[in-house]
Amino acid sequence: MKRSLVELGGLVAAMALLIAVFAWRSPTFLTPTTFLTIANQLPEALLVAVGMTFVVLIGGIDLSVGSVLGLASAVLGVALLRGHLPLPLAALLGASTGLLVGLLTGLVTVRLKLPSFIVTLGMLEAARGATYLLTESRTQYLGGPVEKLAEGGLGGLTPPFWWVLSAVILAQGVLSRTVFGRNLYAIGGSEQTAFLSGVPVARLKITVFAIAGALAGLGGLFNAARLSSADPNAGVGMELSAIAAVVIGGTSLTGGRGSVLGTALGVLVLAILGNGLAQLGVQEPLKRLLTGGVIVLAVVLDRLRYSGRIEE
Amino acid sequence: MKRSTFVAAALLLAAGCNQPPQPTTSPTTGTLSDAAVAKAGANRPQIALVMKSLANEFFKTMEEGAKKHEQVNEDKYKLISNGIKDEQDIAKQQQLIEQMIGQKVAAIVVAPADSKALVPVCQKAAAAGIVVVNIDNRFDADVMKEKQLTAPFVGPDNRKGAKLAGDFLATKLKPGDKVAIIEGAPTAFNAQQRKAGFEDAMKQAGLVVADSQSANWETDQANKIAAAMLTAHPDIKALLCANDSMALGAVAAVKAAGKTGQVLVVGFDNIGAVQELIKSGAVLCTVDQHGDQLAAFGIDYALEMLQKKATPTDKETPVDLITAETLKK
Repeated sequence: MKRSLVELGGLVAAMALLIAVFAWRSPTFLTPTTFLTIANQLPEALLVAVGMTFVVLIGGIDLSVGSVLGLASAVLGVALLRGHLPLPLAALLGASTGLLVGLLTGLVTVRLKLPSFIVTLGMLEAARGATYLLTESRTQYLGGPVEKLAEGGLGGLTPPFWWVLSAVILAQGVLSRTVFGRNLYAIGGSEQTAFLSGVPVARLKITVFAIAGALAGLGGLFNAARLSSADPNAGVGMELSAIAAVVIGGTSLTGGRGSVLGTALGVLVLAILGNGLAQLGVQEPLKRLLTGGVIVLAVVLDRLRYSGRIEE
Repeated sequence: MKRSTFVAAALLLAAGCNQPPQPTTSPTTGTLSDAAVAKAGANRPQIALVMKSLANEFFKTMEEGAKKHEQVNEDKYKLISNGIKDEQDIAKQQQLIEQMIGQKVAAIVVAPADSKALVPVCQKAAAAGIVVVNIDNRFDADVMKEKQLTAPFVGPDNRKGAKLAGDFLATKLKPGDKVAIIEGAPTAFNAQQRKAGFEDAMKQAGLVVADSQSANWETDQANKIAAAMLTAHPDIKALLCANDSMALGAVAAVKAAGKTGQVLVVGFDNIGAVQELIKSGAVLCTVDQHGDQLAAFGIDYALEMLQKKATPTDKETPVDLITAETLKK
């Protein structure tokens, strides 16, 4: 049911290969600067992908995470610039926006028994529309106290990096060591069976969507901090890279199998790929072609490892 | 999720969730007395403004400019303004124009999402007796000839604008210095023009373009591309960005790399968010192409054509360099 850490070995090997290729092609790639840069860009992508992992584990999908990230950053920007609210309060508003949207998605999906794919597709549109309305489609420059959030801390890594690293470890612990986590695997394995054995399916599913929304909301704050600005297009397309990271990390799209650590490695693979290709000056068409290729290859490898085995 | 719902969802996606676009007719201001409205009459020509993405600040500004223009000239015409959701949604824009032909508007002022793909449907409009004015993004000359469409172009010269910014940057650097370009969406004509303008200026000043990559107009992508460029080319002295949103991302990357002041950043568009950064010196300069006046120019042209029944020549709208100096004025 759960994949052991040993099984992430393949992913680690693939990542090492990727790093080796870039190091061979680019003299500047294998430097501390590269890895600090990548690490400091990771927090948002990690948060969104961890939320996605939870949703995919229970057999759902959340296409709204990118828009929710954008909405949270817009709320933060408007609260700071137009509301002149202090940063902690503005941040709280931004993050709770994410939580509320996630909760709403969960309620609609579960209570009305609708496929999460459609509900979150609608939410992707609605949240993005709300973002444009709030910001009047204008990028807002924030500056000031927000930037402090993303300034280098311990070892040149920003505070968000350390926080998100702790969040990833915590989320993995919740999944593999708590009743809540076990129940999520059970729901993903077979919702019917889980329900019959007394798992509070509806409540857990709503909770999972709320978690995904809250994490995307936090991602919005970190995104705004890193860029010193709230861009109405922040997070566009992010749901797809999150799904890619989740799948590369070995979580099954049909639910019931996967891990947060795998997802984190998946996010890292995509980030290394993005940075490496950019350092080599690869042009956009080829970048997209190669990124797509890596995603498909990772899934194929994963499938090959699992073929011939009976999944529980 | 069950397989069947997946298939259904995929089908829905493939269908592009097509809803017919709803034209947003802008209400005439409520300050007019009924008599005045009656006098201005039902015979006011309708002019349709068809823009690209209203999620883009530039078009938002353009629409606001058009609405102001309508208020001033509300006895002359009635404005119907429309935009598409996504810059790349060519089909949606074609549908909008079809719809305007159906509504029998007098004139269509269009900022095409694609220089070639929108020509046939605009030809159809012209054949139906509708005046067509092309703004912002120029129709492809060959396709126009092939489809026998004549429409005047009203808009800025992006290449010239980018060259202005590049020339100003060159005054701050010395020949042989390295720079990098952050491009807009590779398929957009204005992105290509801006890149070419930057290159013209660099070539003329003897500066070396060490790297040039697209960040698709987006802040976050530009931040990641710029960070990688600064790592791969530690000696670059400037980042030339094809729009200001990307310049914001580049500024954040320069700051994170601890190179504030050593690497200059150039933008394009003169959005509100970038002005503070120009004053503080984090951004060296940007280019204003007066988006707010662009649609108004186009509408004036359409009105003139409706009166004179003749096609005027193309009109180049101004592009201005914006620096800390000009903002002080």
